[in-house]
Amino acid sequence: MGANISQLERDIGSEQFPSNEHYFGLVNFGNTCYSNSVLQALYFCKPFREKVLEYKAKNKRTKETLLTCLADLFYSIATQKKKVGSIAPKKFIARLRKEKEEFDNYMQQDAHEFLNFLINHISEIILAERQQQQTNSTTNNVNKSNSKAPGENGTTHANAPDLTWVHEIFQGILTSETRCLNCENVSSKDEDFIDLQVDIEQNTSITHCLRCYSSTETLCSDNKFKCDNCSSYQEAQKRMRVKKLPIILALHLKRFKYVEQYNRHIKVSHRVVFPLELRLFNTSDDAVNPDRLYDLVAVVIHCGSGPNRGHYISIVKSHGFWLLFDDDQVDKIDASTIEDFYGLTSDTQKSSETGYILFYQSRENL
Amino acid sequence: MANIKSGNQNTRKKVQVSMVICEAEEKRHRSGVNALQLDPSLDRLYSAGRDSIIRVYEHERYLNGMEHHTDWVNDIIICCGGRHLISASSDTTVKVWNAHKGFCMSTLRTHKDYVKALAYAKDREQVASAGLDKSIYLWDINTLTALTASNNTVTTSSLIGSKESIYSLAMNPSGSIIVSGSTEKALRLWDPRTCAKLFKLKGHADNVKALVVSRDGTHCISGSSDGSIKVWNLGLQRCIQTIRVHSDSVWALLATESFTYAISGGRDKKIIMTDLKNVPNHVVVCVEEAPILKMCFTADQLSVWVSTENSSIRCWKLPTEKHFKEEVKMPSTPMSVIAGGAAIRQAVVLNDKRHILTKDANENVALYDVLRARKIEDLGKLNFQDEVKNRHKMVYVPNWFNVDLKTGMLTIHLGQDEVDCFSAWVPAKDAGIRDTPDQPEQKVNYGKLLLQALFEHWRGVESNPENRVYFSVPKHIPLILSEVGGRTLYRVLVGDTSGDTENALLNETVPNWVVSNIEENCMNKFIKVQFYLQPHSSVPSHLLKQDRMKKPDRLVANDFIQCRKVAEHVLEKLLGDGTASTPGGGDADNSPTNNGYSVDQIELTCNDQVLDPSMDLRTVKHFIWKSTSDLTLYYKIINAK
Repeated sequence: MGANISQLERDIGSEQFPSNEHYFGLVNFGNTCYSNSVLQALYFCKPFREKVLEYKAKNKRTKETLLTCLADLFYSIATQKKKVGSIAPKKFIARLRKEKEEFDNYMQQDAHEFLNFLINHISEIILAERQQQQTNSTTNNVNKSNSKAPGENGTTHANAPDLTWVHEIFQGILTSETRCLNCENVSSKDEDFIDLQVDIEQNTSITHCLRCYSSTETLCSDNKFKCDNCSSYQEAQKRMRVKKLPIILALHLKRFKYVEQYNRHIKVSHRVVFPLELRLFNTSDDAVNPDRLYDLVAVVIHCGSGPNRGHYISIVKSHGFWLLFDDDQVDKIDASTIEDFYGLTSDTQKSSETGYILFYQSRENL
Repeated sequence: MANIKSGNQNTRKKVQVSMVICEAEEKRHRSGVNALQLDPSLDRLYSAGRDSIIRVYEHERYLNGMEHHTDWVNDIIICCGGRHLISASSDTTVKVWNAHKGFCMSTLRTHKDYVKALAYAKDREQVASAGLDKSIYLWDINTLTALTASNNTVTTSSLIGSKESIYSLAMNPSGSIIVSGSTEKALRLWDPRTCAKLFKLKGHADNVKALVVSRDGTHCISGSSDGSIKVWNLGLQRCIQTIRVHSDSVWALLATESFTYAISGGRDKKIIMTDLKNVPNHVVVCVEEAPILKMCFTADQLSVWVSTENSSIRCWKLPTEKHFKEEVKMPSTPMSVIAGGAAIRQAVVLNDKRHILTKDANENVALYDVLRARKIEDLGKLNFQDEVKNRHKMVYVPNWFNVDLKTGMLTIHLGQDEVDCFSAWVPAKDAGIRDTPDQPEQKVNYGKLLLQALFEHWRGVESNPENRVYFSVPKHIPLILSEVGGRTLYRVLVGDTSGDTENALLNETVPNWVVSNIEENCMNKFIKVQFYLQPHSSVPSHLLKQDRMKKPDRLVANDFIQCRKVAEHVLEKLLGDGTASTPGGGDADNSPTNNGYSVDQIELTCNDQVLDPSMDLRTVKHFIWKSTSDLTLYYKIINAK
């Protein structure tokens, strides 16, 4: 291990090694690479890391939650004396196994499911804590006096509910627009997302896949649209577009397809190019910030042939160079190596190392 | 238990029974009018309604309605010099009518989806139909009109190549060319004489909803949802003019005989006449109240009849040279109006599940009784939501029908799917049916009552009114048998079901689940509710026959059982003084009870709410328990001596 550490430092060069940055691998506790890879990617999503460390600083003595474990882990990496090394995320994994039954075993899990769970779970924790604080403060207010000012403060807090810094970072808004082909009225409906789950096609790019994601679907024959204006079922055209672009855009490439014939999920190793810079073209006409430019900051990579087998690693961008995290191993890689994770041009090979979750960070508004 | 499906039916799609609650004669269109046709020889105007009815006006006066479709009529054409009319509908059929007598001669079921458009070649008496199934069929009208009930097979040729739903169709009188417009955003052309595919014209950016072909078949005008009108030279296979005079989709088009002027209408509610030789030269004919669906020339071609998404049909004068030169202004009022009625736009089933409160396009509120299939009260312009709230009763009856407003009238669907039409059992006296003396607490089933009424004349009218325990529905009510979410199998008026032909057809189409359930003596399948009964902590232990600590037994009862019955059960079975109680006793009514308490002293609660003895279990479960888990009721003794 020692040789590897020095190797990484040698590769980066002591002159170039960013101050205040630590590159620590995470020890695998038996198939916990799904968690390690996602944690590393999130650690290098700067806005997220900052907020987690801020949380750590603000909440000294709270009871243990998955968020406190995550904050402790991030804090521990950020405050290491050494520049490189490895760390065992023991407390985090133990807590994770307590929190969710599905993760309480030594089996390989889906990294995307884990990411989803983690993000939702920690925002729930923040909301619960916020509510706790509010009830505390309102009781205090009542105790003090019936003076209105603090009470009003409390209500403004309560009115900006359900939005935590997790949402501020990851949450975007999708709008689905349905146009009745008879009366041509358009009805639209907004929904929040924390990642976009994108169907992939062979030998394409993520931009192409996102365009398909927003392509128009015709609701027809047995699947007609019940138009309120026409009081009847009519053909309609429906499309999903992005209305609010998030700070961190997480793109989940749907690489695991259920194949009825085999009665299980099969990995789709299609080659899908993902650029270092991304601009979304599938934004709605009323989008708040349609011109956001995104930079690729992290990729969770799946290696192997199926969702419940194989391995997860991640590559991240830090201070202008790329690093590959493979559990407790950390290596500097050349940016050109990213191409190796686009996928396979032919479908003959079963096993592949392919980008699975892409993390793009907005260049402005940080 | 409740959802026993009529098992032994073949694998055909499930059949549902529907009725339309309408007046004996619906003289006015209830909703938008999709198509217009004029027969100049008799000065008759035919209009095709979204309310499924084709209406005939002679000298602008209502003459009669032609009813047989069960969904929107999308297009009509007059043929054979006005003797026949052909209609296309969203019920997926094309119908051939005797226009003079107003009856349906035959029904063509070749299309598999809504039939949206028709085109007519006068010289060849040929008609083409097209729709959302992407198909175009060509029909020989002389063959169609010769069809009889016994000889109703007809051959058709089909024009192939369309990849998407067809919304418009046009043919020239000689039948040498046919054009279709579709969501492909392109025009497709065929030679109807050979059925050969000719070519495709691209240029529009959206659906093509209106088409006109010139008499000689050399030119064509198209109107599109992209807002533009294009003139095409078919010989050159290209667009020779793009006209942008509308601010929204173009849905209706006419061209003057010489193809010198185009008259267009659309979603922007405007009708505009454009000089094709000098496009900037155009005049707004009128601004309608709603998006324009169709236009047709009057006999003198000096004005147009216009139909819109509203039910009225208006006649507007067309501009002349003077108007184009802006020497005179266009009149702002129509020359004449055929007033339409109001479509029902909103319907709320009240929670007695028998009455429906509706609001129509004119904001008028009305109350309907489903069991009698009629409107019982006009309430005028009221606040609809308030009225719904005011009429809310604390009673829960399961859903037993679906309502649909596609025709602007109430259509009631009875089936055995998510909503089982036999799920609503109510006390006969609540339904307004007198108790028969030998069955004091008789229950009736709403679905059964309505089906009995709908098929009354088919089954043979019960001559003895004493034996008739259902309501009657008016004889003019249309009864529709159709595949669930699909095609109409048969439509007949309730009063006509006794006829020989109708009777035979019904024997073929009425599904088993109806036949087996409308007999008076058929097995009743009541809906059960499961619940627990627990003693309140105030009930002295020595009075309990059962150990308080023991988990109570789960009880099962019919969902319409009233709380009083449950109290009787408590008194009889759960409270005791140790002496033997009569096993199974059902005569708890007035007999002195063994422990000195009476039913009135048993108070039932659910979620800490005291239950009215007349409330039934399903109402308790729905309004007080508010959960799908098994109901739990507590009992205690009040006014204990």
